[in-house]
Amino acid sequence: MQAETQSDALPIDEPVTVAAGGPDVLLAGEREACATADRINSSVELRIRRQDYPTSAPYWQSFRLKARPGANIVSLLMDLREHCVTANGEPVDPVAFEHNCMEEVCGACAMLINGMPRPACSALIADLETPIRLEPLPKFPVVRDLMVDRSQLFDNLKRVKAWLRIDGAWDNHERAPRVSPQDWAAQYLFSRCMSCGCCLAACPEFDLGKAFVGPASLAQVRLMNAQPTGRYDKAERLHAIMGDGGLSDCGNAQNCVRVCPKEIPLTSAIGELGRQTTLQALKDLFGGG
Amino acid sequence: MSASIQNPHFLLRRLHSLLGLAPVGAFLVFHLWENSQSRFGAVHYNEEVVGALQGLNYLLLIELFVIALPLLFHAGYGLLIIRDGRAEPQRYGYLRNWLYWLQRISGLALILFLLLHVGLTRIAGLFDPAISANLFGHMQQALSQPLIFALYLIGVLLAVFHLANGLATAAIVWGLTSSAEAQRRFGWFCAGFGLLLAALGVHGLIGFLILPTAGVTT
Repeated sequence: MQAETQSDALPIDEPVTVAAGGPDVLLAGEREACATADRINSSVELRIRRQDYPTSAPYWQSFRLKARPGANIVSLLMDLREHCVTANGEPVDPVAFEHNCMEEVCGACAMLINGMPRPACSALIADLETPIRLEPLPKFPVVRDLMVDRSQLFDNLKRVKAWLRIDGAWDNHERAPRVSPQDWAAQYLFSRCMSCGCCLAACPEFDLGKAFVGPASLAQVRLMNAQPTGRYDKAERLHAIMGDGGLSDCGNAQNCVRVCPKEIPLTSAIGELGRQTTLQALKDLFGGG
Repeated sequence: MSASIQNPHFLLRRLHSLLGLAPVGAFLVFHLWENSQSRFGAVHYNEEVVGALQGLNYLLLIELFVIALPLLFHAGYGLLIIRDGRAEPQRYGYLRNWLYWLQRISGLALILFLLLHVGLTRIAGLFDPAISANLFGHMQQALSQPLIFALYLIGVLLAVFHLANGLATAAIVWGLTSSAEAQRRFGWFCAGFGLLLAALGVHGLIGFLILPTAGVTT
């Protein structure tokens, strides 16, 4: 930890010196990061779409600042926060943005980076075309600058009943249900969803004020329906996604699966749910369990 | 909580999908097949193709319930679906997103084309019996105008695309193809089906313009 802090403070142009007791692996990685930072001249131009409050008009501001070795969008925004001065030299209010885990598992920092929705923490400066354009994640209400209100995501998970009922009439004290390695491997893919909202930003059918729950929630229905405890409520979940704004609103543009940072097979989930809802409709029409 | 068959939304969406395949899509295949026989000449076309169909019992009921009403529902409900989408094919230039966008554009264009097409043939035939009696001559005259031929060519190709792509997405909607691999595989199958059907359709259009080979007129 100490080695990291020390090397962070190093000027970019100077070669990294081996810190006493510092792990060699880390330093090797940093040397490589220095090389990429040098390649992009270490100074980057940021264009940020800002918005002062939820109902005010958005506007663009340009910034020019030095990127540290291995910098990503979040770390760059943190640096910007310390001296928030535009490219014209005008001091402005710090840019509001969200971040949390810094390892692409929490989903808080998703935004439009050069026009594409992705988590900012895993967007490395060295890999991006400059000037870098940052915009708030579309389809969600802007709170301020790059910060959006994504409570819709949670509401949609509730609408499709994406939960497990573990308190039920049956015996809850039995051992954990057995899952085959094949099923486990398939279900694991869907469990990686971090509710970042990138799939919803790219979905042509999902938007503010529209009923569609979007691919993220649908994939959780696929996961919960296959889960040994969750499968007891399969019919209820299917009925939920057979209502307004459910599965039928999907237009099969399949942008979701292309932009998902966790590579979740969202379109497979939609295909599987298509089959499950077809069978459920037949059961509802003709009876049978 | 009541959905599924108590909820009209799910049923209407599935009905829209189903009717697009059959009878509307099935009729398109049949229609292009019938008209591909244009190259056998006026006598064969007017008597064996059009004449046989005109002699069908309950023709008006069939036209109404198997073609017109399903088509009207598919088109009308399709307009409602289109209203809700925003494709952004420039930003998300993936093939499926382009197809999503094209499916909607072609649907809109087809409504206009079908107004022209049905007006020029079936509706015009109601007012002028000479058109129904010699549909070949009527179509030959119409298609020999470059503008009408171009409109028909675009109309046929868009209709074929709309069906082929609709077949691929309906397979996902109904759950025939669930894995991404299966969806891709069936997508290529539909592309092949679309190319064949397009060839059949264009062949039928050109058939009106070429002179029939001697001896093939019956």
